[in-house]
Amino acid sequence: MLAIKNLTKSFKTRNAVDNISLDIPDGQMVGVIGRSGAGKSTLLRMINRLAEPTGGSIIFDGRDVTALKGRELLEWRANCAMVFQQFNLVGRLNVLTNVLTGRLYHHGLIASMFQVFTPAERAFAIRALDRLGMAHTALQQADTLSGGQMQRVAIARALAQEPKIVLADEPIASLDPMNAKVVMDALRTINREDGIAVICNLHTLDTARNYCDRVIGLFEGRVVFDGPPSALTEQAAREIYGAEADEAFSESMTSTTLKPAGTEVPAERLTEADLQQRARAELLAG
Amino acid sequence: MTAMTLQSISSSDIASVRQSHPQAFGSTFSTITRWAIWLSVIFYVIGSLYYFEVYRLLDASGRALNLIAAFFIWEDMGEWQYRQIYIGIAQTLGMAFLGTLLGTLMALFIGFFAARTTMPFVVVRQIVRRILDILRGVDQLVWGLVFVRAVGLGPLAGVLAIAVSDTGTLSKLYSEALENVDRKQVEGIRSTGAGPLKIARYGYLPQVLPIFISQSLYFFESSTRSATILGLVGAGGIGMIIIERFRANLFDQVAFVVLNVLVCIFVIDWLSKKIRARLIGETSH
Amino acid sequence: MASIDVNAGPQPNDAVSVFEHHRSELRRQRLGMNILFIGAFLLALGLSIWVSRFYPDRLAAGLPRIFEYFGTIMPNLQFDLLFEGRGADGRAVPGSLTFWYSDFNVYIRLIVETIFMALTATILGATAAFLLCFPASRNLAPNSFIYIVSRRFMEICRGVPEILYALVFVFAIGIGPLAGVLAIAIHSAGALGKLFSEVNENASMRPVEGIRGVGGNWFEEIRYGVVPQVMPNFVSYTLLRFEINVRASSIVGFVGAGGIGAELNRVISLYSDDRVVAVLLLVVITVTLIDLLSEQMRTHFIGRENLQ
Repeated sequence: MLAIKNLTKSFKTRNAVDNISLDIPDGQMVGVIGRSGAGKSTLLRMINRLAEPTGGSIIFDGRDVTALKGRELLEWRANCAMVFQQFNLVGRLNVLTNVLTGRLYHHGLIASMFQVFTPAERAFAIRALDRLGMAHTALQQADTLSGGQMQRVAIARALAQEPKIVLADEPIASLDPMNAKVVMDALRTINREDGIAVICNLHTLDTARNYCDRVIGLFEGRVVFDGPPSALTEQAAREIYGAEADEAFSESMTSTTLKPAGTEVPAERLTEADLQQRARAELLAG
Repeated sequence: MTAMTLQSISSSDIASVRQSHPQAFGSTFSTITRWAIWLSVIFYVIGSLYYFEVYRLLDASGRALNLIAAFFIWEDMGEWQYRQIYIGIAQTLGMAFLGTLLGTLMALFIGFFAARTTMPFVVVRQIVRRILDILRGVDQLVWGLVFVRAVGLGPLAGVLAIAVSDTGTLSKLYSEALENVDRKQVEGIRSTGAGPLKIARYGYLPQVLPIFISQSLYFFESSTRSATILGLVGAGGIGMIIIERFRANLFDQVAFVVLNVLVCIFVIDWLSKKIRARLIGETSH
Repeated sequence: MASIDVNAGPQPNDAVSVFEHHRSELRRQRLGMNILFIGAFLLALGLSIWVSRFYPDRLAAGLPRIFEYFGTIMPNLQFDLLFEGRGADGRAVPGSLTFWYSDFNVYIRLIVETIFMALTATILGATAAFLLCFPASRNLAPNSFIYIVSRRFMEICRGVPEILYALVFVFAIGIGPLAGVLAIAIHSAGALGKLFSEVNENASMRPVEGIRGVGGNWFEEIRYGVVPQVMPNFVSYTLLRFEINVRASSIVGFVGAGGIGAELNRVISLYSDDRVVAVLLLVVITVTLIDLLSEQMRTHFIGRENLQ
C-alpha cells in the first residue's frame, strides 16, 4: 500500500504540489486528472523520486520512500516502474535491450557496462514483449517504431522490472486514439492480471471514467476530487478544470484536442548538421 | 496474457522462447567478432606501446618528478625579462591575427573555386582541390621552416606559414559550407534574373557568411596556439623564448610563459564565442 | 484596410513612414556597435602588422626569394633516365627516380612509424576523452565541482600544442617515439573530450530519465541512456582526429619525439636540394591517403545520412 502524507513541492513563487495526502491500496487503478500545470506530473515524479519533495512523506509498505538514499533509492525506483509521456526509450538500442534495461538494478557494474543479460532475463523480456504484442519487433532499433509501439515497449520495460507499482505519466497524450486505446487496455490488463497498482496521469476525463477504479482530481496542486468515476459530476469536473461558472463546459473539451506542452524539440539543441560542421572546423583547427 | 515473474521462468520456458526468437539470444558469430575486434585493438595498443618502449616511463619517474616540481616552483621572479616575454606574446597574437586574416581572404576567393555548387568545371575544381590538399598536408611548422629558409628568420615567415596552412584548411571548409547551402534560396535569387556575381552575393553569401566567420574565429584561436610553437623553427613569436628557456633549464619561466599563452587563448575563445553568438544570432533571426 | 489619401501628404502613421522611423532607430542602435567593432578590428590589424613587421617592403623583398627557394628544391628529373636503376657500382644515375629517392627505405620506415604513432595516440587519447567527457558535460556531471575540474583539465590538455608536450616528454623520458605518442595522446584527449562533451550536452535527456526511472545508477544512465545516442558522432570525430594526428606525428620529430619529423627537420634545415621535396611529397601523399581512408570509414560506420 502507498500512503502519501502532506506531500509538498514548492518552487520559488508557488507550490506545484500543495499538501497532498492520499492512500492507494494494492491493486487499484487510479486516474489522476487536472489541467496542465495542476501538479499531476510532479506528483508522479516525486513518488518515483525523479523529483525531490520539499515537504511531507511517501510511505510504501511501511517504509519511508522520501528518506531513501543511494542503493536503496535505486531499489525503490526499480520497484516502482514509470511510464513516460515521451516513452523515454533509448532510440539507438534495439527493442529487446530497451526492455532488458528494466533489469539493470539487479546487475553488477561490469555486467551492465558490457550489456550481459542472462538467458532467463532474455526469455522474460521476450515474454513481456509478447504480452504487449510486440515480440516480433524485438531486434528492431527502438527509434524505428511508431509512438504507440514505443509506448508498448516502454510498458514491457516496466513489466521487466517486476514492479510493485506502476506510475504512468500521461502515457497516451502523444498518441492517436487507436494507439491510446491499446496502451490503456494494456495498463488495465496488467493491473487486473498481476494485481499491481497503477497510477495514471490522464488529460481526458473520458479515459479516466472508462479505465479507472478511482479518480483523483488536482487543481493548482491540491486534491479537489477523490472518488469513484461515477461520483464525478459536471460540477466536480468544472472545479478540476477550473472552468468559470458561466463558461460552457463539456467533457470533450478536456479531450485529446488539448495537446500538452513538451512535445516539441527544445530550441537550443543543435541539428546534426550544425554539430558536424562545428566539430569539423574545431577539429581541423587542431 | 498472463502474469508471471522472473523466478517462474524455467529452462523449458527459455528453450521455447529460444526456439521462437533465436536471434534474441545473440549469435555466437557476432559475439566472437565483437570480442575479436576489442581484443585486437587492445593487443595493438599494448604491442605498439611496447615497441615504442613504454617501460622507459618507469626509469624516468625521478627525472619527471623533478621536472614537474621545477614547473611549479618559481624562483628569482624579479629577474625574469617580462618585457621580452610580453613582446613575444604580442608578436604571437599579431602573427596569428594577420595569418588568419590573410588565410580567410584567400579562402573567401579560393573556396568558390573548390565547391561543386559554385564551380561547374570539374578540371578546375579538382586542380584547386589537389593544391589545397598539398597546403593542408604539410604541417604549419614545416611551412614555417620552409618560409624561414625563403624569407629569413622572424615573424614574417610565421605569418606566411599560418596564412598558407589556414588557406588550405579554410578553403576546404568554406567550399563544404558552399556545397551544403539550401538550393531553394539560390534558386529564388536566380529566378529574379540575377547574374552569377549577384547570385553569389544574395543567394550564397547570406547563408554561408555566419559559418565562414565562425570557422575563421576557430582558426584564429588555433593559430594562436600553433603560433606559439612556430618560434621553435625561428619563425617568430614566443616559441623562441620558450625553447631558449627550456634549453637553459629555466622551467619555471617556461611554465609562466605557457600559462600566459593559455590565458590569452581562453580570452580569445571567450571573445570569439561572444562574437559568434552575436553575428549568427543577428543574421539567422 | 484604410485607403491612403494621396493628396493629404505623408501621414504620421502610414506604413512607409513608420518603417522609415523604425529603420533609422535600428541603424542608430547598430551604428555605435559597428564603429566599435571596426575600430577594434583596425586597431588589432595595425598592431599585428607592427609587431610582426609585416611591411610591404619586406614582403616585396621576401616574395621573390620564396619562388627562388622553391626552384632550388625541385627535383631535376630527366625523362629518359626516369626509371634507370642503380649502376654496376651501386650508384644511381642523376635524373632518375632512384637517385631522387635514394633514401626511400629510410623514409618509408619513418612514415610507417609516424602512422603507428598517430594510431596509438588516437586510441589512447580517445579512450581518455571518452572517460572524461561525461563528467565534463553540464547535463550529466554528478556535481558542479567534478564538472569544473574535468572541464578545466581538458581545456589545459587542449590549450598546449602537442609539440610543447613533446618537448617536455623528450626531456623527461628521452628521445624517441614514446614522447610523441604521449604528447599527441594528451592533446587529443583534451580536444576530443571537449567535442565529446558538446555532443553529450546536445543529446536528448529522455532516455537518461528512462534509465533513472528503472533504478539505474549514474554509470548505467550513461551506458544505456547516452552512449548509444552519441557513439556515431564519437566514432566520426575520432576518425577525423586521427587524420589530424597523422599530421601532428609527422612534426613532433622536430624536437626528437619520433616519426618522420626529425628527417623533415634535417633535410629542410641542412639542404636546399631535391631531398626536401622528396620527403615533403611522401608526407603529403600519406596524409592525403589517410584522409581518404578515414572518410570512407566514416561514411561506412555512420552512414551517409548522418554526414548530411
